[in-house]
Amino acid sequence: MHEFTIGRNLANAVCEAYAEVDPPPRRLNTAHVVVGALHQIVPEYLVDAYRRYAEDTPVAGSTLELHPLPVHVTCGACGWSGDIELPFIRCGACDSAGVTLDSGRELYLDRLEVLTHE
Amino acid sequence: MNEQTLRVYKDLMGDNHTWADVTRRLLSARGVHMLNLIGSPGAGKTRLLEAAAPRLFPRLRFAVLEGDVETTRDAERMARLGVPTSQLLSGGSCHLEAKLVHYGLRDLEIDALDLVFVENVGNLVCPAEFDIGEHAKVAVLSVTEGEDKPHKYPLLFREAEAVVLTKTDLLPHLDYDLEAVLRAVEDVHAGIPVFQTSARAGDGIQAFTDWLAGRVAWRETT
Repeated sequence: MHEFTIGRNLANAVCEAYAEVDPPPRRLNTAHVVVGALHQIVPEYLVDAYRRYAEDTPVAGSTLELHPLPVHVTCGACGWSGDIELPFIRCGACDSAGVTLDSGRELYLDRLEVLTHE
Repeated sequence: MNEQTLRVYKDLMGDNHTWADVTRRLLSARGVHMLNLIGSPGAGKTRLLEAAAPRLFPRLRFAVLEGDVETTRDAERMARLGVPTSQLLSGGSCHLEAKLVHYGLRDLEIDALDLVFVENVGNLVCPAEFDIGEHAKVAVLSVTEGEDKPHKYPLLFREAEAVVLTKTDLLPHLDYDLEAVLRAVEDVHAGIPVFQTSARAGDGIQAFTDWLAGRVAWRETT
């Protein structure tokens, strides 16, 4: 249930980012979040946590959209670079375990879609 | 009215990263190494520390931060061995966060220590998500939990810098494929050490404590 901790942080981050929008928009429609595949996050739990923490804030009622990012590696043995399927963290070409993670650990608020007054 | 898209790019760990960085810098400046032990409830994390304590005492000054949802029982077990211990109660949360760990460290005489173990709340998922300011995560996995856990919880085993396999004295009584779990660890994080231990029989504990001593010595020289 770490989704509730992340949902709290997310609601705070969305509120802060929304408050900095100039001129102030009419409302927040959607917050977009990027989630690397290594994070074991249950989307429904995070959406629910966000909704609850966003209550009684200027971003209440906004929608949360999650965008999964696959695990991407580069092989130190053969140089192959590409997405892999968990749980095997190995080269997709030569099966070497000597790979570096290029992505998959991301967890960030990517963008806001706001409705302006104009 | 128009819809407008605004780029943000904001990390979602909130102030946890800040607390973790402050803690790590504080410990590093004083030459103290901190390990984050993560495993299921009942994996044998406390028992591992109890078994390791006599082998660590002569070489390393260490303390334990015991993370639990409720009760102070694990902290009492460590305190009975004379180990400086502070209890961290997560209050229902499934993981420890960096701020609570930082406050827990204030209960310890850091300058009199070489090593701090943080025994995280029993859980293979949530604690792996949070940097608590440790220098390394260690996954603790008992042989009664099945061989496929590294495949099921890849984040923990990818983040961990070592795995301690516990309760190996039970192997003769179990249909457990030891090679399979070792392969599963390799699939997720090749090359990390796997210590096969039995706290009851004393097997493998020396190798684990030697590894710990090596890490502390390495940090002191860098």
